[in-house]
Amino acid sequence: MIPYVLLVPTFAIIVIFIYWPAVYSFKMSFYRISPFGNRMIYTGLRNFGRLFQSSEYIHSIKVTAIYVGFSVLLTVFTAFFIALLLNLKVPGTPVYKALIFIPYAISPAISGTLWTFLLNPVVGHVNYFLSKTFGISVDWLTSKPYALYALILASVWKVVPFDTIFYLAGIQDVPDDLLEAATLDGASSWTKTWRIVFPLLSPITFYLVIMNIISFMFSSFAIIDVMTSGGPGDYTTTMIYRLYLDAFSFQKTGIASAESVILFGIMAVVTFVYFYFGERKVHYQ
Amino acid sequence: MKKSTRKLINTIVAEVILITIALIVSLPLFLAVSISFQSPEEVFSYPPKILPKGLYLKNYVDAFNLVPLARLILNSTIMAIAITAGKLTTGLLSGYAYANFRFKGREVSFALLFATLFLPAETVMIVPLFLIMKKFGWINTYWALTIPFMASATNTFLFRQHFRSIPKELEDAARIDGATPMQYFSKILLPLSKAMIGGAAIINFVYAWNMYLWPLIVTMEDKMKTVQIGVRMLISSESANNWGVIMAGTIVVLIPTVAVFLLLQNLFVRSLVRSGMKG
Amino acid sequence: MKKLLVILMVTLAILSMAKVKIQFWHAMGGWRIDLLKSMANEFMKLHPDIEVDVQYTGSYHDTLNKLIAAVKAGNPPDVVQIYDIGTQVMIDGGIAVPIQDLIDKDKSFDIGNFLDQVLNYYRVNGKLYSMPFNSSNPILYYNKTLFKKAGLDPNHPPRTFKELLEYAKKLTIKDKDGNIVQAGITWPLHSWFFEQFMAVQNAPLVDNNNGRTGRPTKAVFDNEAGRRFFRLWYELSKNGWMINTKREDWTGARQLFGSQKVAMLISSTSDVALMMKLAKENGFELGTAFLPRPEGAKRGGVAIGGGSLWIIAGHPKEETEAAWEFVKFMASPEQQIKWHEGTGYFPIRKDAVEMLMNQGYYAKYPHHLTALLQLLLSEQTYNTRGAIIGAFPEVRQIVETAVEKMLNGEMTPDDALAWAQAQATKAIQDYNELYAH
Repeated sequence: MIPYVLLVPTFAIIVIFIYWPAVYSFKMSFYRISPFGNRMIYTGLRNFGRLFQSSEYIHSIKVTAIYVGFSVLLTVFTAFFIALLLNLKVPGTPVYKALIFIPYAISPAISGTLWTFLLNPVVGHVNYFLSKTFGISVDWLTSKPYALYALILASVWKVVPFDTIFYLAGIQDVPDDLLEAATLDGASSWTKTWRIVFPLLSPITFYLVIMNIISFMFSSFAIIDVMTSGGPGDYTTTMIYRLYLDAFSFQKTGIASAESVILFGIMAVVTFVYFYFGERKVHYQ
Repeated sequence: MKKSTRKLINTIVAEVILITIALIVSLPLFLAVSISFQSPEEVFSYPPKILPKGLYLKNYVDAFNLVPLARLILNSTIMAIAITAGKLTTGLLSGYAYANFRFKGREVSFALLFATLFLPAETVMIVPLFLIMKKFGWINTYWALTIPFMASATNTFLFRQHFRSIPKELEDAARIDGATPMQYFSKILLPLSKAMIGGAAIINFVYAWNMYLWPLIVTMEDKMKTVQIGVRMLISSESANNWGVIMAGTIVVLIPTVAVFLLLQNLFVRSLVRSGMKG
Repeated sequence: MKKLLVILMVTLAILSMAKVKIQFWHAMGGWRIDLLKSMANEFMKLHPDIEVDVQYTGSYHDTLNKLIAAVKAGNPPDVVQIYDIGTQVMIDGGIAVPIQDLIDKDKSFDIGNFLDQVLNYYRVNGKLYSMPFNSSNPILYYNKTLFKKAGLDPNHPPRTFKELLEYAKKLTIKDKDGNIVQAGITWPLHSWFFEQFMAVQNAPLVDNNNGRTGRPTKAVFDNEAGRRFFRLWYELSKNGWMINTKREDWTGARQLFGSQKVAMLISSTSDVALMMKLAKENGFELGTAFLPRPEGAKRGGVAIGGGSLWIIAGHPKEETEAAWEFVKFMASPEQQIKWHEGTGYFPIRKDAVEMLMNQGYYAKYPHHLTALLQLLLSEQTYNTRGAIIGAFPEVRQIVETAVEKMLNGEMTPDDALAWAQAQATKAIQDYNELYAH
């Protein structure tokens, strides 16, 4: 009896606030609902049809793929590189660690705010630096394709510490002589690092890639909302931002529910990949 | 080249690269602090200033006047503490269940719990969750800000892992001494888990303090908003472009999490890594 | 003695219980928050039995969305200010007490005193659903001081699109690196200006006579009038003669003009009071003019912009009555004059205008007169009465997206307009599907 009682609080919450809403959104995705909710008509699968015919929605899928893809790649490699360096334990490492890890504690919204300022064409330091050194001046947040670069920059900055923390922990388990050979052997060392150390850490990389996908797909909402609000035009409107706009700005509850269901679908695939490959091919220590 | 010379060179190279990276990574934060102490004239001067002339504290006063920052801090504190307490409680109990008991439905329920890792309620679920909040009459209340987030797979895993690492002999000994499972839990397991609970508390606090999308949609009145939304309000307020004020507000909002993080970094890092590794 | 005290306390208790509390949500930011509060305080002095809780709920768009959430959650305010383009969605929501019903019951109130232009806008199918409150239209503000510096006649503002381009070019100053030191013109990146310039050219936005004779079924703005305005916008921006703001950034546009970074601004007449203040502070002479028209285009007019006050149903009878008193008060000549002077929204009633004229107010404040005259001289057609579209909030967003696509070079002006029309039609049809039967 005891274990069941112990599980009640956890399952009460996940059933009511995760599983019920998930099922509920399936139901709602078959309806069109008026803004004030006083009209509701059954439309079957037409909401989905509408979405996949809509150039805006297709665009949001593409933007999400590009944004998530590049962000994950950049984050994972940067984090791995930084972890290797930190692992050398050169003098001053605790200070570098503290400084490099800080963005983990900073929220996406604030990350967005800081970068909005730095990239500001009038008062921002980045633009000043770029125009002095390279003679370029860019409207980072309001022009294409720079708005997307700016988002990726702010997102990667925020998430790199998370990955670094994991890599650094993982490297502790790599045999010392292997690491030594890899990091201290001059020119050929980087190839060795990639060939030997990186594959050894593949379970961590796998875990991080999955976590990062979730983080860039969803938590990045705040960064986008603060920095570009999905603009210019709908250029940086990702799937989660589109969902937010349709649900809470245009009050299209039915369409937005269908968008939720599509996101569930994507997450179901991610979950499947995680279990299928995670359980079979990758071993955790 | 001798191995020691090579090592020295490598160390120097690593130092240089690390210093550069640390500077680049912490630059935004450093500049934000600097800007928050600059007067509007300084902020808009060209070239942009790296250091403020003096401490222009009016920015901080203005930030508190422009948006009800004090109230927002209160709300975020309530929300973060409630979520942290809730997640720890549910996580400890369920972690104990999975670590120390065999029961029917163990695997199935664990899989159900695990799957929620991939369904972040505060983002993917906003539409249906919002409708459910309406049914409960919870819109614009602390209930909506806290209750739905009081359980998570992460916390359960973390404590399950931790409890498993505690020698089984301890449990057997306690049982022989006549302790009930709940006594063993509260008298022995919990005291042994202080560090882990502390680490998890920080992770949960940072997570809750930094939530954005859900508070944005589920609160209506300014007095129910949270600090993250406050930052958004500062940017879009009438005196937008007043970067000194915006940065002052930003600094106020990020101080709690950054301070906790810097003070308890090791604890934090250990728990974070544990939470991610499946056993 | 003791008895007296008890009686006193009971009376106080009854009095405090008898006090009707109503909630009023509005979307007027900045200095107008305090102005509205002071008007509500004045109302409470006149009606000690009513307490009005005034709340600023963000932009018009946010206010509508908050209302929708509040209605669904079961705790809507008594009175809410909703923007012009939310009219149809409010009617379809069926959540308001139509003002017409209250007027019919209240003999003391004469709607005949209201300006026809205002009533024409807010009457849908002959019925008035909400109380007009704040009305404005866009005008051209210009900096006479900068005009003189550029060798332009400060008393001859641009009247046509062609002149506007010429003037903007002459007023733009670039440094040797090609950076813009001063630009010719700005206006907020907002669909409202597109809508208004369509009215200026007497062109409709949607079919069924701009939605005035039946639910619109499609957008029809991809025409010569629409193209002229999109091309103008593009031409000005491409050459650096115009600075574009972020989406719906009224404050940004005002600041650019106030700080003399741009010489001309097209913005709402509700900014007149603020602009006069900014001009004084920054030491330049302010001019105002009607919106320029394409040369040779038919003369249309401007449509009403702004908001009206809605009384939300489902509250106790006393609250609805108190709400009606409050709404009447806000539309009274005295309050409308106060509101007009403090903002620039013009008075919505003839008697208020007459009072101001008799006081010689417009001789003293010619900029307020520009705003009023532009409206009074507008042709009254379906196209200048403003469109009625259920999906208007979304159509607006579509137009703004199209403008951004045009400005960042993704689409030509003509393509962007065609894209916007197709998208808007889809939004309109999606909306209509709900009301098909």
